Amino acid sequence: MEMQESMMGRGREAIDMIVDAGSFQENTVGAQSFDDPDFGPGAVVGTATLDGMTCTMIVSDADAFNEKFPVVYAGIIGMEEGYKMAQAVYASIEADAEKPLAEKRPLVLVVDTPGNGPGKVEEIFGMNKSTAAYQLALAEARLKGHAIIAMVIGRAISGAFLCHGLQADSILSLDANYGTMIHVMPLTSVSRIIKKPLEKLEEISKHSAVFAAGPRFFYSLGGVGALVDNVDGMRPAIIARIQEVQTAKAEGKQDTLGPWGRGALGAERGGRVERPKILALMDREFAAVAEQYAPAR
Amino acid sequence: MALHTLEFELETTSGTASIPAPTHVGVTGSSDLEVILEPAPAGKVAVRIVTPVTGFDELWKRVVKKFTDETALAGARIEINDNNATPAVVLLRLKQALTQATAA
Amino acid sequence: MSNWKNLQSRSFLESSARDRALGLVDEGTFTELAGPFDRVTSPHLALLGDAVAFDDGIVTGVGRIGKTPVFVISQEGKFIGGSVGEIGGAKMVNTIKLAIDFHDDLVAKYPDLSDAEKPVVVISFETGGVRLHEANAGLLAHAEVMDQLQKARGKVPVIAVIGSKVGAFGGMGFVAAATDAIIMSEFGRLGLTGPEVIEQEMGKEEFDASDRALVYRTTGGRHKYIMGDANFLVEDTIEGFRAKLVDLAPLPVADFEAMRRIGSPEKVEHQLKLVALAAEMQPKDAVDVWAKAGNENAPGLLDVPFAEFVGSVKRLSV
Repeated sequence: MEMQESMMGRGREAIDMIVDAGSFQENTVGAQSFDDPDFGPGAVVGTATLDGMTCTMIVSDADAFNEKFPVVYAGIIGMEEGYKMAQAVYASIEADAEKPLAEKRPLVLVVDTPGNGPGKVEEIFGMNKSTAAYQLALAEARLKGHAIIAMVIGRAISGAFLCHGLQADSILSLDANYGTMIHVMPLTSVSRIIKKPLEKLEEISKHSAVFAAGPRFFYSLGGVGALVDNVDGMRPAIIARIQEVQTAKAEGKQDTLGPWGRGALGAERGGRVERPKILALMDREFAAVAEQYAPAR
Repeated sequence: MALHTLEFELETTSGTASIPAPTHVGVTGSSDLEVILEPAPAGKVAVRIVTPVTGFDELWKRVVKKFTDETALAGARIEINDNNATPAVVLLRLKQALTQATAA
Repeated sequence: MSNWKNLQSRSFLESSARDRALGLVDEGTFTELAGPFDRVTSPHLALLGDAVAFDDGIVTGVGRIGKTPVFVISQEGKFIGGSVGEIGGAKMVNTIKLAIDFHDDLVAKYPDLSDAEKPVVVISFETGGVRLHEANAGLLAHAEVMDQLQKARGKVPVIAVIGSKVGAFGGMGFVAAATDAIIMSEFGRLGLTGPEVIEQEMGKEEFDASDRALVYRTTGGRHKYIMGDANFLVEDTIEGFRAKLVDLAPLPVADFEAMRRIGSPEKVEHQLKLVALAAEMQPKDAVDVWAKAGNENAPGLLDVPFAEFVGSVKRLSV
């Protein structure tokens, strides 16, 4: 696999590679407009068409710097960014509230983010609420029938990936030939913190996907639905995936999508085989006592 | 690097105490351990210890023997998840488990 | 001994995850699911040669408070900092899912089901989030928990209980924020980024991670109560937390919607007012915000006795 020029830091370019030419309207989603250019600059939101379909784009911008909150740079999601992204999602839900399932606009998340704002002011005011707000909004949109596709083009790191990506119906990622980074922590840091030799961790990660860094490991855990090995492949892959997701939703197969669906995929691909066992065990054990917790009548 | 599992049995000829019901105590915290004690017929105590530490198999046997002797345990099944606990802590948790088992 | 009555007056902070779980619900009502006797341990830890736990560091089960079925999740900070791996994560996810499914079953079966008879979920947090030994699986489990929290909306109230040493940080800081109601003790801490990482990002002059008072001013229970991020502040005993749960458990789920901080466009609008205030104030310390909230004795607020603090403190409103 030949190495390609990385897409890291090129979120805005990725929009143009994905959507119908010239269709992206930044700062407008449904009835909501984002008029203040200084508000949440690390998050680019707007509306575009994709193969003719109206869709909402939510994109990390690694070139932005939020002067009010200086821990927000290089694609970091700060307090304003998280809430701005949440607003874009709610505006999408609102715009299509009366529309049938098939006409609810898809949301495309272009993912290239290294983290959430790690500052003192952020902790004082509760950074955790901002990115949680965005996650809840995405989950609501997904459960209300919007197809949500995440496209990882650069960095999808830990809590930032939880926030911007892992609530999608389906996650696509540029393959490792683009230097795509998906992880909680690089293996060198894991090695230092859990006090295990790096060589040993590298050895184990040949057979176990649970801690190693990279899109291929997430693929085998079900965390990434499909890998895309060329930037030109992003647009057709997203269009195809939107159709598949919409079909699954129309057939009531929501459980094959999103975080829960990724669990089944992780078992299928052999990366997460403990999860289904523990779920089944708990189901059995609760079924045996459920009657005790039902109301007495 | 894998975890070390140590299994052995102790013969108990003179003991009289037994385990009325399965009991769990402790947390596998740093320098600590958790214990499951379960009833078993008199005559022997079966032990299974899972620990990151190697090279102390004989010490484990002596510590568990001290516990069964002091408590006159006649029969039991003991399972331990250890995380670098000292012999004193091991004895303490085993005795706590027995007290809890008999109090229930 | 884990006798229920003895547990009640015990420090929540000092108690184990299992004692917390047992003591929060009514006496003798707790049934543990996937408990230690099931011996479900992490194969990933074993492969790395690290100690394992029979419950993978998390207690999950179901009990009852009055007429209310209470699904309990209680994280154990002494086992690898309460970190979430594949098994512990799945236990957490499925406890919430079982509560939602049970709710749906009961509603279908009993047309006259009262609010008090509908299940609730209680999560006692003691974690920094993902377990690095199985980081990818832990991260994916976090996303599943968030998904279940949204699925529980409007059906099953989810109540966060934070009074442990480790608190709720990392990805579990998101999860805690996404619950309906948050009960804290003054020793609980809630946030996203741990003190060491803030120090690394901002420099020791701005944030000294070894300054315990600073750490508590920034993420501790008293501060979170002033900010409205904790709905309730209780004394550090199991019965302290339990008494609040007794109040909350029978309430209709709609009442919980009002306690939420996030989860709707209106709530996001409100939070953005706080963010605007943060931008305008650029507080050097949480004390600045306490003063802004109208507390005359802001610098001394951490030293005021608990009852007096709860009785007299002014909470921030924007």
